[in-house]
This record gives sequence, C-alpha cells and structure tokens, in this order.
Amino acid sequence: MTDRTLLSKMKDTAGGRRSDRIAKTVFLSAALLSASFVFLIAGIVLIRGALPFLTDNDGLGSVDLLRFLTADVWLVGATFASNLYGVGYLILSTLFIAFLSLSVSFPIGVLTALFIAKVAPKPLAKVLRTVVETLASIPSIVFGLFGAGVILKLVYDFSMSIGYQSKGGNSILATALVLALMTIPTITSISEVAIRSVDKALEHGSLALGASKTQTHFKVVLAAAKSGIFTSAILGIGRALGEATAVSLVAGGRRSGVSFDLLDTTATLTTMMLEGLKETTGLDYDIRFSVGLVLLVVILITNLTLNAIKRKVGSVHVKA
Amino acid sequence: MSRRSARKVRDFILNAVTYLSSTVSLAALIAILAFVFGKGSSLLNFDLVVENFESQGFVADFHAGFETCDCVAGIDLPEGSYYSEKWGIALSDSTDLLGKTVVEVDYVHPDSPFAYLHDKGVGTEPIPLRADYDVIRIAFDSYATALSRYGAEAMIASLDANDSIREIEFETKGGGIRGSILTTLVLIGLTLLFALPIGVGAAIYLNEYAAVGRFSKLLRSFIETLTGVPSIIYGLMGLAVFVPLTVKLTGATGGNLLSGAMTLAVILLPVIIRTTEESLKVVPDDFRSASLALGASKTQTTFQVVLPSALPGIMTGVLLAIGRIVGESAALVFAIGTTIKDDVSLTGKSTSLAVHIWAMMTDEPANVELSATIAIIIVVIVVFLNIMIKLITNRYIRKRLGVGA
Repeated sequence: MTDRTLLSKMKDTAGGRRSDRIAKTVFLSAALLSASFVFLIAGIVLIRGALPFLTDNDGLGSVDLLRFLTADVWLVGATFASNLYGVGYLILSTLFIAFLSLSVSFPIGVLTALFIAKVAPKPLAKVLRTVVETLASIPSIVFGLFGAGVILKLVYDFSMSIGYQSKGGNSILATALVLALMTIPTITSISEVAIRSVDKALEHGSLALGASKTQTHFKVVLAAAKSGIFTSAILGIGRALGEATAVSLVAGGRRSGVSFDLLDTTATLTTMMLEGLKETTGLDYDIRFSVGLVLLVVILITNLTLNAIKRKVGSVHVKA
Repeated sequence: MSRRSARKVRDFILNAVTYLSSTVSLAALIAILAFVFGKGSSLLNFDLVVENFESQGFVADFHAGFETCDCVAGIDLPEGSYYSEKWGIALSDSTDLLGKTVVEVDYVHPDSPFAYLHDKGVGTEPIPLRADYDVIRIAFDSYATALSRYGAEAMIASLDANDSIREIEFETKGGGIRGSILTTLVLIGLTLLFALPIGVGAAIYLNEYAAVGRFSKLLRSFIETLTGVPSIIYGLMGLAVFVPLTVKLTGATGGNLLSGAMTLAVILLPVIIRTTEESLKVVPDDFRSASLALGASKTQTTFQVVLPSALPGIMTGVLLAIGRIVGESAALVFAIGTTIKDDVSLTGKSTSLAVHIWAMMTDEPANVELSATIAIIIVVIVVFLNIMIKLITNRYIRKRLGVGA
C-alpha cells in the first residue's frame, strides 16, 4: 500500500524532465483519442441518422419520424423515388428474435456453466471449457455459413414434414437458432465466473443443513450467482441484437409485415442495413444511418431495462 | 423414505439436465467443424491459395502454317488422362475450384500447335495453352463441336478425328482466393500499425501516468463502452468518416483498404488497451522504483523496464486483435465493400476472407463449397491463435509467479 502511494506521488512529480513531459503528452493524447471514438461514433450516427428526418432529401421530402418508427413496410414505392421508409416491424422482429434466441441459449448456457464449475469431474470440465472457448472464438460469419448450410436445411425439412412451405428454411427459427449457438459461449463463460465466485460458506451451510449437492447447486449457488448470470444474459442479448452478417444469411430478407410465425421469413434492423447497399448517395443510402440510430437506441433501451431488472432481482436475498 | 427417494429422482433429473445442456456446446462445435471440413476440404489445395478468383477466358485458333505434332508425351501422364499423339495434348476430367466439372489440360507438348495459339480477341500476342487451364469447347469446321461437358475422352476423340480446328475456348483457373488472403494480411498489418501505438500509448497513460481518480476512470469507461457497440455500427462510422477521409487524402474512389484498416483499428483499441493495461498492472512496482532510484527518467523506465516486462501481455493483445480482424465481416462490408478482387491495392476495394464468404453467400447461387473452404482457413487461424494465446498466458503466469515467490 505504501509502495503504491509513493509511486503515485512519483507519478505526480514526473513532470521533471522535458522528455518526460513530452512522453506524457503523447501518451495522454493517445488515451484521449481512444476515449473520443465513442463520441465520434455516437455523434456520426446521431447526426447522419437524423438528417433524413430534417432535410428535404433531394426533393423527396423529409421522412416522417413517427411513420418511420411504426410502419410495417420497409419501403412503399420505388427506391430513390419515395421517402416512405419504415422500421416498425423490424424493431419488433429484432427484439422478438433476440429474446427467442436468448430463451434457448440462456438455460443451456447457464446449465453448462454450472456443469463446468460444479458438477463435472475436473478433466471433463477442462475439456468443456476449451470447447466453449473455441466456440466463442469462431467468427460469426462461420456461424452464418453453418446456419445457411445446415440449419436452413434442417428447418426446411422440418417445415416440409409438418406440411408447411418455408422459403428454403429462411425463417425466424433458423435465425434464432444461429444466434443461440453464437451466444451460448458468451453466457456460459460469464456465468461460470459468477458461479465459481459464489462464497463457499454458503454452499457448506446448505450442505450442513442437509440439502443434497444438486439441491445446493440449483437453489443456493445459482441464486447467489444470479447477478453475474443476469449480466451474461444482458451481454448475450446485446450480441444477438447487433449481429449482422450471420443473421443476413438465414433471415430471408422480409420487406414488410411483422410475423411471429417461427417458420416465416424475417428481417432485422441489421439485415436491412446490409441489404442492397450499392449506391453511396441518396436517401436509400442515408436511411441506413437512421436504421443504425434506431438499432443503437433499441440496444440502449434494452440494456437499461435489463439492468434495472437486474438491480431489482439482485437485491432479493437468497431464499434457500 | 419416499420423500428421500423423490429427492433422489429430482436430483438425478436436474443433474442429467446439466449434462445434456453441456453436450449442446460440444455438439455445436463438432457439427460446425464437421460441416466446414466436410464441405470445404474437397476444394482445399495449394492452387486455391495462389490462384486468382476471376478466371480469364480466351478464344483462339491455330497460327497459319501449323503442323500436327505426332509427338510422344514427354512426361508420365496421370491416371484418367487422355493423350492425343496427333496433337500432343493430354486432357482429363476434373472439377474446378468452384466445384464445376471441367476438362482440364494436363500436358501440352512443346511442339504441339496448342503451345502457340493465336488469340482471336483483341490480343495479338501468341497465347499458349498451359497445363491446369480448363478447355471449354473446341469447334471444328465440319464436325460437331467438342464441349467440356461431354468429357475429356470425347474431346480427344474429336481432335484425333480432325486435321484442324476452327477455334478453341479455354480459361485460366479461377475460384482462387489469393486476393482475399493478401487483403486479410494487408488489413492485419495496417490495422496493427494504426491501433498498436495508440492502444499501447493509451494503456501506458492510464496505468503509468494518470493519477488514480475520476479522470482516468472516466477515460476508461469511455473506452470500455466501445466494446458494446455492434460492429455494423463501426461500419457506419467507417463509411461516414474514414471513407471520405481516405478518399480526400489518397484519391481513392470509394471504400478502400485504408478506410477498412482504420475502422478495424477503432474496433480493436479497447481490446489492445485492456490487455496491455492488464499486463502493465502485473509488472511489480519494485521494477519501477528500482529503475527510478537508479536515476532513470520516467520515460526511460517506461520504455526500458516496464514495457519489456509487459511484452507477453501486449503479444496476447496482438493475437486477439488478429483473430478479430480475420473474423470481422459486418464492419468491413461497409468500410471497404464486397467486391472480390485479385489485384489488391491500398486504395482499392477488395475483400478479406470473411467478407469473401459473405459476398459469395449473398450472391446467387450461393457458393457453399468455396465458402466452407475459406471457413476452414479462418477456423484454423483462429484456433491456432487461441492456442498461442494460451501458451503465452500460461508461460507468463508461471514466470510471474516465479518472480513473486
């Protein structure tokens, strides 16, 4: 401790030599530059995203914000000839898909984490941890390719077997499954840390009271780790909301109408941003920034909501 | 007693559920690897890595005054190859890098008239037919045209039945990914060039210079916030900031490798800063005190004592960064574009391996085989990097513990 204070005092007086001052300035500017990018991104997306609503868009007229946020058709009229864009249905399907994928990946991820941290014999836990790490490091485009090559076929065959003609398997189900596979490692690794940092005394207490090991794991350990487990869900949903290229290979590019039918085609905010990006001027190009802005707001609101819930849930004490 | 056995049953079920859940990750990994290697390995060979993606087609005929060859093949021909002594050319059935069946040239005798073809297009240079080229069709003056889909044997038979040809259409091998590999390498180099000095500098400031307090906490939280931004949003920023910037500075006409690398650099800054900071943190303060006590300046201490000790940690950051660059797709779709190209230039468009996959998969018809082959390369790189990171971290931790003890 004394070492630390002494050193930080030295840090304060480090302005002695000229070369030191220069070095400090250089390092400081690197830090300031790094910290400034978050504002650059927010600013650019905010400004460019707001422009279609404020300007005349080269004669097409400004886009109606309320209509844009609620409409259930991506574009009424021809590209470059209409300002009737809408993302209402995209917002809903983006959220629906993200939560659907979480409903698959969250239980699996948390239980896998519990298995690795508490249940599995050590060598098996080690193997599984490596498996999860490897899965986490596989880029999303490979998940997308796997989705397009395997999951689409499975979904298509399944839909045919129940007499439903799906568009080559491109569907909400396929999209949610691809996203679930991608988020399982995120949820697992963060939950595992949370589970392992649960106070051993709690476990021992539970065991001493006569609870079985399994009861202790499920009722005490999971409950005690719930704050960290909730964090993993928040990160998982963040990844699901923002994923673009993998989703675009299995979603099917729906251009209008909300559908919650699992075998129906769909589209998300991100896939619409990727679609048909050919021109670099005009409203059809600028509107992608507006979609990006909507995406950021959706992610922000989801995060804030989940964090609020987490605070509420986290304050409830372990019951078992 | 019955309550206890009920509990046993419940425990068993719950345990079984955890076992089952953890098999999902394992099954997913195995399924992905099996799919990627199963689909992609048939196209995986050395040609793929060195060949161009675009094949170049030619239509040609013989030079005036050509003579048939009647020559013996100078090499041992591979099995399944059909040789025409009359023309000194060997053909075989094969599949190209895109998985199409083609008639491939195995061998052309140096004296064969096919070794000096006359380009019927704009070129005037004599063009040779070479081994590895694909023959599309050979047309004759009064004989049925030999098409590649009838196979190599039929094509050789048609050749032997004629004394001249009207024209031959052939193409160089396509479907290679040389351009995308080159682009990926260039992107790795450029991105690290941009991101490393800034990231390491920022980490040094935060850990070595900044007083512990609100200001450094604020800076850290701004940098950390970057990690939560989806990569497609980075793409938008690249499109709106770095593309116009590089267009103005270099005269590029649109998205280019420089703008792509700058975008990637911003994505990687938090990664590099975090790993560097973590490795700076574990450098014992004794090192700093000792260096300062010996009269070294703060700057000397930072560069000659602290940074070298933190090098393994920085290496880990670099490896993580490379993994991210190799796998990144959404940001690059916006910041560079999706044009698959063979000639890579800093100010031009071209695709990284990951974007190459995306471009082919969104094209009609989607090329799953070649995509899977590229995915093999990506997965192998990423797994290799992972192993390297583990090795470095393990060795580093052991060394650190050794110093501490």
